[in-house]
Amino acid sequence: MPTLAEKDIKTWLLENVKPDEFLEKDFKKSGILFEAVVPSGKIRETAAEFLAQGYFLESLTAVDFAECFEVVYHFNRWESPPKRCCVKILVPKEENKAPSISSIYKSANWFEREVYDLFGIHFTDHPNLKRILLPESSAIFPLLKSFKGEPAGSDVEQSLKLIEEDKEGFEIRYPQTITEHQKEYYLNLGPQHPSTHGVLRILLHLSGERVLDAEPIIGYAHRHHEKMMEIQTYQACWPNMGRLDYVGAMSYNFAYALLVEKAMGIQPSRRVEFIRVITTELNRITSHLLWLGTFLMDLGAFTPFFYCFDDRERILDILEMVTGERLTYDYFRFGGLDKDVPADFVPAVKAFIPHFKKRLRDYDLLITKNIIFQKRTKGVGVLSRENALAYGVTGPCLRASGVPFDLRRDEPYSIYPELDFDVAAAKDGDVFSRHLVRMQEMRESLKIVSQIIDKIPPGEITLGKLPKNVPKGETYTAVEGARGLFGMCLLSDGSLNPYRLKLRTPSFSNLNAMIDMVHGCFVSDVVSVLGSLDVVLPEIDR
Amino acid sequence: MNSSLLSETFKIVLLGTLAILFVAVNALFLVWMERRVAARFQLRRGPIHVGWQGSLQTLADALKLLSKELVFPHEANKFLYLLAPLLAFAPIVCAFVILPLGPGAVIRDLNVGFLLLFALTNISFIGIFMAGWASNNKYGALGSMRAVAQNISYEIPLLLSTMGVVMAAQTMKLSEIVSLQEKAWFITVQPLAFLLFFCSSLAEANRAPFDIPEAESELVAGFHTEYSGMRFALFFLGEYTAIFVSSAVAAALFLGGWQGPLLPGPFWLLLKTYALVFTVMWVRWTFPRLRSDQLMNFAWKVLIPFGILNVFGTALWLYFEKFFA
Repeated sequence: MPTLAEKDIKTWLLENVKPDEFLEKDFKKSGILFEAVVPSGKIRETAAEFLAQGYFLESLTAVDFAECFEVVYHFNRWESPPKRCCVKILVPKEENKAPSISSIYKSANWFEREVYDLFGIHFTDHPNLKRILLPESSAIFPLLKSFKGEPAGSDVEQSLKLIEEDKEGFEIRYPQTITEHQKEYYLNLGPQHPSTHGVLRILLHLSGERVLDAEPIIGYAHRHHEKMMEIQTYQACWPNMGRLDYVGAMSYNFAYALLVEKAMGIQPSRRVEFIRVITTELNRITSHLLWLGTFLMDLGAFTPFFYCFDDRERILDILEMVTGERLTYDYFRFGGLDKDVPADFVPAVKAFIPHFKKRLRDYDLLITKNIIFQKRTKGVGVLSRENALAYGVTGPCLRASGVPFDLRRDEPYSIYPELDFDVAAAKDGDVFSRHLVRMQEMRESLKIVSQIIDKIPPGEITLGKLPKNVPKGETYTAVEGARGLFGMCLLSDGSLNPYRLKLRTPSFSNLNAMIDMVHGCFVSDVVSVLGSLDVVLPEIDR
Repeated sequence: MNSSLLSETFKIVLLGTLAILFVAVNALFLVWMERRVAARFQLRRGPIHVGWQGSLQTLADALKLLSKELVFPHEANKFLYLLAPLLAFAPIVCAFVILPLGPGAVIRDLNVGFLLLFALTNISFIGIFMAGWASNNKYGALGSMRAVAQNISYEIPLLLSTMGVVMAAQTMKLSEIVSLQEKAWFITVQPLAFLLFFCSSLAEANRAPFDIPEAESELVAGFHTEYSGMRFALFFLGEYTAIFVSSAVAAALFLGGWQGPLLPGPFWLLLKTYALVFTVMWVRWTFPRLRSDQLMNFAWKVLIPFGILNVFGTALWLYFEKFFA
């Protein structure tokens, strides 16, 4: 009973926790149902109740106000329409401590480390509270408003000393040499490794070839988009959107456009909506094609890579025709688009559709039905529903675990409610299921494109001159990216640049879930599990 | 006496030089062929600019490798590290001793024939193990552990599959086995043995889908992660020569070796060998890689039982044939 549960959590909060502040919100305008400020001592209790009611932790972040910190929790449920709730606690600056909920939500482990890393807020009882995005030797908290951009360790000698200390500490924690008769050892998979898809390091604790424990270490591609966006104007943030998930950048464009449009209360024309959906779905196909090629390469098959890239190139040519860019798209604008599509866009897409349908059949025959492929992927890296909930996994990885949760259908935005498509899902939660889901998603995306390619209505491409600032308030928007739920939480103070813009990226939570998926696997399986998660590192590191 | 010893020494030196020359040229050709074949499979054109159809590309690459710095890894075992590439490469060159190119055209027509061949390829695995172990690299160590496990498992089906042919031919001399196939190739009477031999020799030569000792998406480059320049090239040469040798042996055992109409014997042997090498490449560019435990399962639960079955079948057939005759 979804409506009952929603009432439950609200009444439960009001009766048991007695929040200091409780605000009902308009979901259409702000993206959340209600906002509650609870006493920090009660947050663990609150989180436990949210978990018991089937909510996952969508994002956890903080905001630096002049008088105190605010730690913000967003909880959401796998249902339609989503039940996103916002819970906040206030942390006084002199105390600087908050209770950790990492023992309740596994995903909170990394989220809290991120908040500690960027704000310096200590979470009591956190098992492993150390830097996550910045190097362990850094001494700065960049998201503090007092931080103006000068790194504390800018002295070269000081940095080298810190790096040396880092190394020593590491060698004590993880003995590196293989001594005689020692069966257990540590192996660094990455940061320079053919199969980590960017700069990711996975510290594997091995016994022979069996994995005892795995610890992904991230932050190598950290550029601090969130700080960048705080000091830029809203208009200047567009290029950042192409550089987070550079493989599926259109969805990120989409999210930012929706976010600011929602905050400003503007609506783009129908023509804009159609073009947005077509380009986003084409981009989703390129993203899944890149995944398919590199994933098969991880499994040792090289040839599919070239076929996938051949198809991907055809779409990139089309998108280049439209946007002028092949990878880091910067195409959407508030209330519109950068430019209209050229005349040969529609025929090019129409020529691509039958070609790709044939190719998808080939992929199924050559890859999905290949016995070695099936042996390598079935039953490997299983993600259970419980773990998916605890880690806040979203996107194809979640749908492969038997949860057909897709924001395009469940929290519909733009013209998705008018479209006919199915939400791909599989039930086993293993690597093979994730493969099936992505193959199906390519088909569905193609279906969406072929449905509306002929129906693009005439209309204006922009809304003309818009105010440069966004009205004061808090807005949350989420879209279904190629990798999962991409959420943006904007806190605007009415000025020319965002006061705080949290980017909730899907791969961050998905990669975190890998820790529980590779126990007892072989080294070869680590590579295939990682490949099946389809992580994009710049999006995780931000 | 003295003069015959001298001529014998001369013969050995000459043939040895010829063999190494052939190995080098053959490897250059095979690498070019592999790149062209791979390109054809992958919607590409492959090397086309250096020489006719890119035929000199591998030569240029070989020159580049010659000029590369020979990196020596930190805290590696120097002696084993230097010995490993030689030990992996040399035994495979020795295998040319027993290859029958035509009637009477064989360097040493030994009566234990290909048993020697298997003994030699095993030595090269010791080289591979040493390489991974000595280079003080965990990926290398993992690769060499896998190599040993794989070699031990696949040696058995390889020998079992050839037993059928030996029983049918009643000899281990390769030249005699080939001449017995004048009327019918052994693949017609031993098709199962041929399949088993082909699979096992793929694994013996570390070729996909059994290339787990180097498994580049998992182990970076496996046992030769730390090797550079010509030391790396020796492993490479060894791998391609091993493919050639095992294909040539397969051609001799099952496809009638030098037998063929009109054209001279060596031509037919080379044609059959390169056809098999092409198949090996075809397999490589089509399939994903197996996992190490699945590889072992395949050897012990599929190849070996079928190998034993084949030996029993051949024995029964021989017995009843004799009985009726």
